[in-house]
Amino acid sequence: MSLLPTQHRDALSKGMVLLFALPALLIPTTVLCYIFWQAMPVLSLSFVFGSADGAGFGVTEGVFPQLVGSLLLAVMACLIAIPFALATALYHRTYATPHQQRLLNTLFTMLQGIPPIVFGLCGLVVLVNLFAWGVSLLSGAVVLAVVVLPLLVLNTLATLERIPLTYSEAGSALGLGKGAIIWRLWLPRCWPQLLTGLLLAMARALSETAPIMFTATVFSGVVWPDSIFSPVTTLQTHIFYLAQEGSDPLVISIAWGSAAVLVLLVASFGLLARLLQKLGAH
Amino acid sequence: MTADCKYEGFPAVESASPIESVESDGKQLSALLTVDKLSLVLGGKEILQRVDFSLAKAGVTSVIGPSGAGKSSLLRCLNGLETCWSGTVAVDGKDIRQWRGGWDQLRRYVGLIAQKPVVFNASIRANVCFGIHGWRQRRRADELVEQSLRQAALWDEVKDRLDASATTLSMGQQQRLCIARAIAIKPKVLLLDEPTASLDPRSKQLIEQSMLQLAKDIPLLCVTHDLEQAQRLKGRTVFMCDGRVIEQADCDQLFKQPQCIETREFLRWSVCDCD
Repeated sequence: MSLLPTQHRDALSKGMVLLFALPALLIPTTVLCYIFWQAMPVLSLSFVFGSADGAGFGVTEGVFPQLVGSLLLAVMACLIAIPFALATALYHRTYATPHQQRLLNTLFTMLQGIPPIVFGLCGLVVLVNLFAWGVSLLSGAVVLAVVVLPLLVLNTLATLERIPLTYSEAGSALGLGKGAIIWRLWLPRCWPQLLTGLLLAMARALSETAPIMFTATVFSGVVWPDSIFSPVTTLQTHIFYLAQEGSDPLVISIAWGSAAVLVLLVASFGLLARLLQKLGAH
Repeated sequence: MTADCKYEGFPAVESASPIESVESDGKQLSALLTVDKLSLVLGGKEILQRVDFSLAKAGVTSVIGPSGAGKSSLLRCLNGLETCWSGTVAVDGKDIRQWRGGWDQLRRYVGLIAQKPVVFNASIRANVCFGIHGWRQRRRADELVEQSLRQAALWDEVKDRLDASATTLSMGQQQRLCIARAIAIKPKVLLLDEPTASLDPRSKQLIEQSMLQLAKDIPLLCVTHDLEQAQRLKGRTVFMCDGRVIEQADCDQLFKQPQCIETREFLRWSVCDCD
């Protein structure tokens, strides 16, 4: 028997929960506020959409080439990963034996935990050197595709698993084959959730720095890529290099500005994903 | 054939008609679907044990019995949703395991309507057309939609909003839409798994009317817990218990003069429950 009355025990419990929950909420919020506070002096439309000519390396001009580079890499990575992720998830759900299903689950959960820099290193050895693609948009996109693939597969699987068995059986009972059930029943039903997963994967690709440092990006001399075999500049690596030049206050401000733009970009994908999730729920 | 009664002193009860022919409205009709020694084991448990019965080319056959008797599993075997069974199931004299076109084709021949209505995320029209195959059928899709919805007693309620989402319909209407969707593909046998469970009396009545109308052309095998419904549907009644067919006879005979003690017990307890 507790010595405290019920209402006091409830208050104590609530206090304990808040004690740990509030810092978890406050710390990231403070960090975000600090980023935007530091970025305020340089943040402007001309900073975001200003195009550099290659001479100022984004220090004196805007970060538009870096923004486009980041987006290009993320979009290409997801475009490469989507068919593989969808096919893997559909195979898992439709044709795989229970043993194969367990194996695939373990494999992709494990792959998700591998540090992305390891994939970057593999990309450097195989794509950049062995395939002689060089440091390029394509090499970076392929490496990023491998990084986001487990996330996409697991999200697609979770989405497909939420489809009730009765829904698929109603299709089977009408004589629909597996292909028809996939294309006519499953995909029209769960496309908002699949798109949500895709946007989250794009946000993840935009957050990755290590794998593209070896395989896709250069800091100086490049503004727009000429082809998929050209290197690109990205916001992530831009921030990294500017932070290393920490002595000049203007350079540091530009780094904060670039960080704020990157945060806004990732957040916009997250928000869009939430919006689609709501749409899917209706 | 009928399973032996459990208790001593009760002889095995022969079904009212043999497998080869079934009497309906005074006419001898040859069987369209025959089930011979059908057994199903799932997860080490015997769900069905040497089930024997047959369906004529038209009319309603109700399957009654306590929960867990294997009634729904029986329908899933006949529709090919369960495939790991032993015994013989023949439709039109052909073993369904050797069906041309495989299980998918069989399911177009033997339609199944589930207990809970499942409508697809599409319009009412698209739902009815879902199982329609082939350009000839597709060309006359509108005609088929109207015909199927009329047969399912839903046409008057939805004729002005065929392009509305099927999810906007009430449960009773959704179940009738499922019936329309199943009959749009012109099955030769229709299996119904408690089609009116948890529906209001009006919807129940409409579905029963639709079933009786359909039963003039094709055989219907309807699993039901509602004994009054089984009596209203007339036709034949099959009583199942513990995965076996205990007794099968014409509806009136089974309800008024059950031959087997298990049937009598079940009917007695069911009537008590109703009271």
